[in-house]
Amino acid sequence: MSRIPFLRMEGLSRRDFLKICTIATATMGLPVEMVDKVAAAVKSPERPPVIWLHFMECTGCTESLLRSSHPPLARLILELISLEYHETLMSGAGKQAEEALKKALEKYKGKFICVVEGGISTKDGGIYCKIGGRTALEIVKEVASEAAAVIAIGTCAAFGGVQAAHPNPTGAVGVGQVLDRPVINIPGCPPNPYNFLSTVLYILTFKHPPELDELSRPKFAYGRRIHDHCERRPHFDEGRFVEAFGDPAHQKGYCLYKVGCKGPVTYSNCSVVRFCDVGAWPVGVGHPCIGCTEPNFWDRMTPFYEHLPKIYIPAGGGIRAEAEKVGKVAVGGAAAVVAAHAAAGVIKKAVKSFGRKGNQESEE
Amino acid sequence: MAKKKEILYRRVFVWSWALRIFHWTFALSCAVLILTGIYIHYPPITTKWAEFKPQYLMGTLRYYHFTAAYFFMAALAVRLYLLFFGNRYERFTDFLPINRRNLRSFWRSLKFYLYLTDEHEWRMGHTVLAGTIYFLLFLAAVVMSITGLYLLYPDISWISKMGVALFGSAQMARFIHYILHWCFIFFVIVHLYIAIWNDFKAPEAIISGAFSGSKFMPADVKED
Repeated sequence: MSRIPFLRMEGLSRRDFLKICTIATATMGLPVEMVDKVAAAVKSPERPPVIWLHFMECTGCTESLLRSSHPPLARLILELISLEYHETLMSGAGKQAEEALKKALEKYKGKFICVVEGGISTKDGGIYCKIGGRTALEIVKEVASEAAAVIAIGTCAAFGGVQAAHPNPTGAVGVGQVLDRPVINIPGCPPNPYNFLSTVLYILTFKHPPELDELSRPKFAYGRRIHDHCERRPHFDEGRFVEAFGDPAHQKGYCLYKVGCKGPVTYSNCSVVRFCDVGAWPVGVGHPCIGCTEPNFWDRMTPFYEHLPKIYIPAGGGIRAEAEKVGKVAVGGAAAVVAAHAAAGVIKKAVKSFGRKGNQESEE
Repeated sequence: MAKKKEILYRRVFVWSWALRIFHWTFALSCAVLILTGIYIHYPPITTKWAEFKPQYLMGTLRYYHFTAAYFFMAALAVRLYLLFFGNRYERFTDFLPINRRNLRSFWRSLKFYLYLTDEHEWRMGHTVLAGTIYFLLFLAAVVMSITGLYLLYPDISWISKMGVALFGSAQMARFIHYILHWCFIFFVIVHLYIAIWNDFKAPEAIISGAFSGSKFMPADVKED
């Protein structure tokens, strides 16, 4: 990538540049006075080298970043960082690519940012994900040990993602679980490119990672519950719910709680930052939140159109039953047991009194 | 008919005012929590009504749910105190199967409930079978409180730290909160039935005892 001065970069006007810096600063939760500082950090000629690793994933995180309808955003990210290794974008392949990785590791030892996209297979020594004859586990451990910071982008890298769903045949886990160093998680399926950009900008501006929550997600992006910042929240509080997709309530934009919205248990800034440049986000366009920024969402947020995960019953080859049905059966069972107990008491009494009668008769 | 033997009963004071306040606070808050909880979990079709007359229905029921939850937790705190510092019959040593005496009592009351014996298990305090179930429900109530607090206050740092450490995600806490709610419905059915059934089988007067604090014991029965 050529190192053309920033403001003359093709397709990115000064206006676009300042706009993106302002959005990113706002995403970080910083006041408008900080925009200058962020912009200065972006303009600095020293660009952090980045090694971008791909493991078990669909490349959707990279795709969503590159194909955003905000071409300047992708360009800014790619110009902001000096991308030394990225399997999807690099022209080299095979031995060339391996060489590039090796060189970058030597050249930028201890200085580069390691971005990981995709889960890591751990079962059977991690043989289910190999690149150039080496397992993902080996590669990520080697690269991360030399990195200045490690960012896990997407739910696969953060928590294991779809391949970690039950029964997790490859023993896939998130990057943080195989490294003994702090990892910044940017989960989402895919994550909002602004959350990635803002995290990188934060590190550039302040020279330290942003404040993280218990799941190592930047608090500025994942510190708020979707439900609490949802435009449909008033409908929830009023008790106006969509019963089925396409019904009159859906057409009127009522709350999607009853069609399985996971907003009440999901932490992300989707409702505020939104996607693409048209201000769209899932709940806004009438689809319930599927909770993609939370750990194990493929297991625990499914079925997507119901509130709660199904109960896994080990007997009978593992049936997945609905929690509600199990509960109803249990309560019905309690009522039946109570009725049976009462009936048994009545029968016992009847039998006894019959017996006593018989005894009295025989005494006479 | 054989002549009925006359039995003398003595009135014994068992449940302190603190325990009775706990019992009824717990009972009423459970009733409110279960009913509002069912609405919050799966609101029936209220859309037309809410369109006709805005009344902040979900918001109001959630408010009742949370208010009742505070009474529920306060009651739990009282019971926790009484487990260790209550009178003899309120302490956990009296009704958990942790020694031979209590274990024997446990089996005797189980046999009585299964109609295998006609011998009512006379106990001053809870029978050990009941006490064990109450203790399990107490633990369930603690879990309900923790999951509930996590769902209500995810923004408070120490609560969310605790929530993630214990349950992994808010969705898991919500799942546990929902599953355990059936235990409370289950318990209410069985508890009411057993209380009434006991009143038929033995003149202990335990239903009024829940208000007055006193029970009746045959004068010749002594607790071993």
